[in-house]
Amino acid sequence: MGLKTADQYEESLRKMNLKVYLLGEQVKCPADHPIIRPSMNSVKMTYALAQSPEHEDLMTAKSHLTGEKINRFCHLHQSTEDLIKKVKMQRLLGQKTGACFQRCVGMDAINAVDSVTFEMDKKLGTQYHDRFIRFLKMVQEEDLVVDGAMTDPKGDRSLPPSRQTDPDLYTHVVEKRKDGIIVRGAKAHQTGAVNSHWILVMPTIAMTKDDADYALSFVAPADADGISYIYGRQSCDTRKLEGCEIDVGNRQFGGHEALMVFDNLFVPWENVFMCGEYEFSGLLVERFAGYHRQSYGGCKVGVGDVLIGAAALAADYNGAAKASHVKDKLIEMTHLNETLFSCGIACSAQGHRTASGTYLIDLLLANVCKQNVTRFPYEIARLAEDITGGLMVTMASEKDLRHPEIGKIVEKYFKGIASVPTEDRCRIMRLVENITLGTAAVGYRTESMHGAGSPQAQRIMIARQGNLEHKKKLAKEIAGIKD
Amino acid sequence: MTGLALMNCKISERKLIGFKYCGGCNPVINRAQLVQDIQRRLSAEFTLATDQSPTQWDIGILVCGCLSACADKPDFRNLARRWIIIAGNSVDYGDAPEKDLAEIVLNKLKL
Repeated sequence: MGLKTADQYEESLRKMNLKVYLLGEQVKCPADHPIIRPSMNSVKMTYALAQSPEHEDLMTAKSHLTGEKINRFCHLHQSTEDLIKKVKMQRLLGQKTGACFQRCVGMDAINAVDSVTFEMDKKLGTQYHDRFIRFLKMVQEEDLVVDGAMTDPKGDRSLPPSRQTDPDLYTHVVEKRKDGIIVRGAKAHQTGAVNSHWILVMPTIAMTKDDADYALSFVAPADADGISYIYGRQSCDTRKLEGCEIDVGNRQFGGHEALMVFDNLFVPWENVFMCGEYEFSGLLVERFAGYHRQSYGGCKVGVGDVLIGAAALAADYNGAAKASHVKDKLIEMTHLNETLFSCGIACSAQGHRTASGTYLIDLLLANVCKQNVTRFPYEIARLAEDITGGLMVTMASEKDLRHPEIGKIVEKYFKGIASVPTEDRCRIMRLVENITLGTAAVGYRTESMHGAGSPQAQRIMIARQGNLEHKKKLAKEIAGIKD
Repeated sequence: MTGLALMNCKISERKLIGFKYCGGCNPVINRAQLVQDIQRRLSAEFTLATDQSPTQWDIGILVCGCLSACADKPDFRNLARRWIIIAGNSVDYGDAPEKDLAEIVLNKLKL
């Protein structure tokens, strides 16, 4: 098939039978649910832009497996140029959606699983890599969305998986059969899970021998028996049920996370890529996290572009655009945003080939990238709120603006400069609200903090990769200290 | 080529011209509008081609959103005998304001 159109993607989702719960009810058709649909629209954009001549150079790639043109989200990076194009593609999609477009987590998962299964097979004589490549060919040929699933609920953080009071707090094998395995547990914070065709499960931390049952990687159809989803709430999510356009801030696009639950899920052996090889779980976590920390140097930058644009428009509409401090704040926002992009590009340009042929980012620079992402979007958001003004959170509702009587009052008193309609001013303020503290803030703020690992996880990696001994040698040489 | 000469221009004599875009991650120009503008003003001696065309283009126009021109790669270069490179506010590495880009490209097509 090659590339699916956006509509074919939506059709394919409608044929699936996912068990999704939201606000205490099972959802009949996620694609039609007003809270879920904007997130599906964001994923649809990954298909739509791949069809566009103006964007195909970033959105598509040539499969090294089949030679066919495929969506870049299904591609294994074959060069540093591929790694760079990935970051640029993510920035583009952030710009087009102003939200999390969810498909990166699967792309990062397939790239990590590829190189790790290859190396695992070489060392242990297992046969996971061939299975994985068979799966990947199907993903590429059918242009599928894969949800990379890593983060376990983890229960008591002071205890390893095997010593938790409830063993299901980490996803694990409960039975090994001749034809496959039975899995129980859950994955938390699963970005885009409900918009995915398949899930690719990976272990959540480095494991020891005692945790071998938890060293587990496999794929399953997203609607397999034994998988259910509990949809995550987002700030202001029920505004989408009000039938308004302005108050939601971003009417068309959004992101989502869900708790993914495995209740005695059966997985045939051909879909298992790790089962008990605990010594490789840490490597898989490190590589997936590295790719995902690179990703944030693209996607958050694209959303940042939208937020900076919105803040600049708010300044225009407020009549404050010429104030020097406003100009300076916009410069600072741009500086921070482009610094994130620089990190994303740098860790890609410094990438290297792994044994399987797939390219990996520079792990030190990817961790520096993500460490900056845990901070800069917060500062960009703070400056956006500063420029936009308090009305962003005290403004009347769209229903008030449309009201036959009080609408005139809202129109009169929420007016900025004379040449701009009050409605436009309301729209831009609601967009800033959406990204900084509404539904999109899940992706732009807290996901920037904790997604792909919380700040301390990057600091541990920076300490490991920082080559401090080399720096000491340099200092000794300059200072004339002899060992 | 104008007037009657245009009408008499046989299809086989027309030059094949094709456009390729960069991915557009952070364009400083409106690439789609620029291409529309150029296409609208193309004389009849040119026929638009796609990268699926069986024959090599006479002229390719690479439309990149910024100066890095990241799409300028050997893979693309084989598509056409001659290339005009638009990269942000520049044509063939010479600076130009966005409003003049189409005109400069059309003049280069006459060469």
